[in-house]
Amino acid sequence: MRLLQVNIRGLLLYSVVLVLISIPVSLFSIQAILAEEVDESIAHQADQFLTHIKSFEYLDDLETDLKVLDKLSNNIHIRPADNNKFVNKDYQTTSLYDSIEHAVRPFRQMSSHVLVKGKPYILTVQMSLVDNNDLVMAIGLVQITVSVLLVGGLLFLNRSLSKRLWKPFYKTLDQLKAYELDKSESIAIESSNINEFNDLNKTVSHLTERNRRVFLNQKEFIENASHEIQTPLAIFQSKLDTLMQSPNLSQMEADTIMDLESTAQRIARLNKNLLLLSKIDNEQFLQTEPVNVDEIIRSQIDSLAPMAALESTKITAELATLTIYANKTLVEVLISNLLHNAIRYGAKKETIGVTLNDKRLSISNIGVARNMNIEQMTQRFSKESSDPNSSGLGLAIVKKICDSCGYKLEYSFSNSTHIFSVNF
Amino acid sequence: MKILIIEDEKQLVKSILLALRNEGYVCEVAYSAAEADEKIVLFEYDCILLDINLPDGNGLNILERIKDNKKTDGVIIITAKNSLDDKVRGLNLGADDYLAKPFFMPELIARVSAIIRRKRFDGSNKVVFHEIAVDLLGKSVNVKGKELDLTRMEFSLLVFLIANKNRVVSKNAIAEHLSGDDAELLDKFDFIYSHMKNLKRKLTEAGSEDYIKTIYGLGYKFST
Repeated sequence: MRLLQVNIRGLLLYSVVLVLISIPVSLFSIQAILAEEVDESIAHQADQFLTHIKSFEYLDDLETDLKVLDKLSNNIHIRPADNNKFVNKDYQTTSLYDSIEHAVRPFRQMSSHVLVKGKPYILTVQMSLVDNNDLVMAIGLVQITVSVLLVGGLLFLNRSLSKRLWKPFYKTLDQLKAYELDKSESIAIESSNINEFNDLNKTVSHLTERNRRVFLNQKEFIENASHEIQTPLAIFQSKLDTLMQSPNLSQMEADTIMDLESTAQRIARLNKNLLLLSKIDNEQFLQTEPVNVDEIIRSQIDSLAPMAALESTKITAELATLTIYANKTLVEVLISNLLHNAIRYGAKKETIGVTLNDKRLSISNIGVARNMNIEQMTQRFSKESSDPNSSGLGLAIVKKICDSCGYKLEYSFSNSTHIFSVNF
Repeated sequence: MKILIIEDEKQLVKSILLALRNEGYVCEVAYSAAEADEKIVLFEYDCILLDINLPDGNGLNILERIKDNKKTDGVIIITAKNSLDDKVRGLNLGADDYLAKPFFMPELIARVSAIIRRKRFDGSNKVVFHEIAVDLLGKSVNVKGKELDLTRMEFSLLVFLIANKNRVVSKNAIAEHLSGDDAELLDKFDFIYSHMKNLKRKLTEAGSEDYIKTIYGLGYKFST
C-alpha cells in the first residue's frame, strides 16, 4: 500500500465515522429542541387563550361564543369536559386531517382541563408538525451534502495535492530504481521547496556518488592488481624454467617443480579471467564490427576437437550463417567459454551439440544433473567440480558478456542434457 | 646474434639473460627508457625485447624511436598489460611480436629465434638441424631428403622443440604453445604424449636419430 493511501485512508475513515455519527445526533437533537419549542409554544398559546377568555368572563353568552369559537378556530378547540376524566396538560403527537392541506398530517396537541365561569372545559391546542419536519429534513439534507462534499473534496485534494507534493520523491525513487552502480552516472537531484525532500535528495545523491566512487576505485584496483601480479608471475615462471634446466634433478624435485609450474599457470589463468571481467566492467570492449558468428564457432570447434577427442567426445555443429555487430573479442570469449564448459562438464564418449539458427546459439552436452541454477552457476568462483583447471569464472564471464551486450543467456536441463543458449 | 632486453624488473632480466645466453645469444640490458634510447641509437640488434611499462617512460615511445631511426631490429613487445589496444598499437608501430606476461621461457626463446631467423635469412626460413630440415613457410619437414607427413600439431611441436634444443621444455609450456588458452582443458600428459609419440615415430622411421628425450616428470628435451 502506498503511503498516500494509508494517509488518506485514515483521514477518510475518521471523517466518515464522524459524519455518520453527527448526522443522526444532530437530527435527533434538532428534533428534540423543536419538539420542546413546539410544546412551549402550545402551552404559551393555551395560557394566552385562557387569559383572553378570563377577560371575557363578564359576557353572559360566553358559553355560546365558545361553541362558535370551537367551530371557527382551527388550532384551538374548547369544549365542555366530561366530568369523569380529568387531564392536565396532556401532550400528544397525533395524525389529524388537515382541512387546509386536505391531507392527514402529524400534529402536536395539548389537552387540558380549564374552568370557565366555574364550568369545566377541555382546551385542546394543536400545532402542525409539517413545517418542523421539513426543517429537520432540510437540515439533514444540507448535512449529508456537506459531508459528501467533505469526503469527496478531501479525496480529491489529497490526491491532487499529494501527487504534486510527492512528485520530487517519486522522481528520486524512479532514479534510484533505474540506478545501476556499474553503468549510471551520479544521480542528478532536483531541488524542491519541501525541506524533507531536499534532505532526502541530498543524502541519496551523496550516497550514490560515494558508492560510485568506491566502485570505480574498486574496479580500478582489480585491474591494477591483476596487472601488477603478471610481472611477479613472469619472474616466478622464469625461475622455475631455470631450475628445470639444472641436470640431475631427483624425481621428487622434478615433481615439485611441475606442481609449482602448474600452480603458477593456474594463478595466471585466474588473473587473466579476473582482468577480463574487470575490463568488460570498465567497458574496454566498446569497439564493434561485423562479426561472423558461425565462422568463429567453426574455427573454435576445429581447434577444440583434439581436446574433445582426448575424452572421446564428439562435437557436432549445425550452423546457419549469422553476422552480428559486436565486439569480436567478446564474442570469441563467449563462444569459447561455453564450448570449454561443455567439454569440461560433458560426459565422456558423448556428443556435444552446437546449433546456431535464428540468432540463437545452443550448446548442449550430456552430463549428470547439477544442483545449481543459472544464477548460482554464473556467480564468480562458484563451481561444483574440484577440477583445479576450472577457474570458476568461465560462466561468470559468459554472463557478464551477455549482460553487457544485451544478449540473453538461458539454461535448461532435461533428459540429462544441459543446454546453454544465447540469443544474440 | 645480439639481443637487447629493455625491462626494469631485474629478477626477470636475470632469468631471461641466463636462458638466452645459454642459447648462444649475446645479450645487453637496458633497465630504463633513457638507457634504452641511448643503446638503440648506438648499436644494431637482431632482436629487442621491449617491456611497455617502464618507470621512466612508455615502451611504445621507444618503439617509435626505433622505427624512426630506420633500424631493422626485430622487436618483441613484452607487457603485463595484456590489452588489445596496446597490442594493436604496438604491431601497427612495427613490432614483430607481442608476448603477454606471464610467459613460458621456451615460448620466448621460440619467438626470439623465429624473429632472428626472419631478419637474418630474409624469409628463406629454413631450419636445418643435422639430418632434419624444416621449411617454415612451406610447413614441411625433410629427413635425409625424404618428406615427412606431419600433422599441424606435430609440425609446430617439432619447430618449438628445435627452437629450444638442449633445454628442458615442460609439458605446460608445450600445451600452452600448441593450444593457447584451450590448454586449460587438457590433461596435458595424455595430449602431448600421443603427439610426441607420433612425431618421434615418424622421425625415426624416416631415419633420423631419436633426439627427443623424455625428461621424467617434467617434459621433453630435444638434445643433440
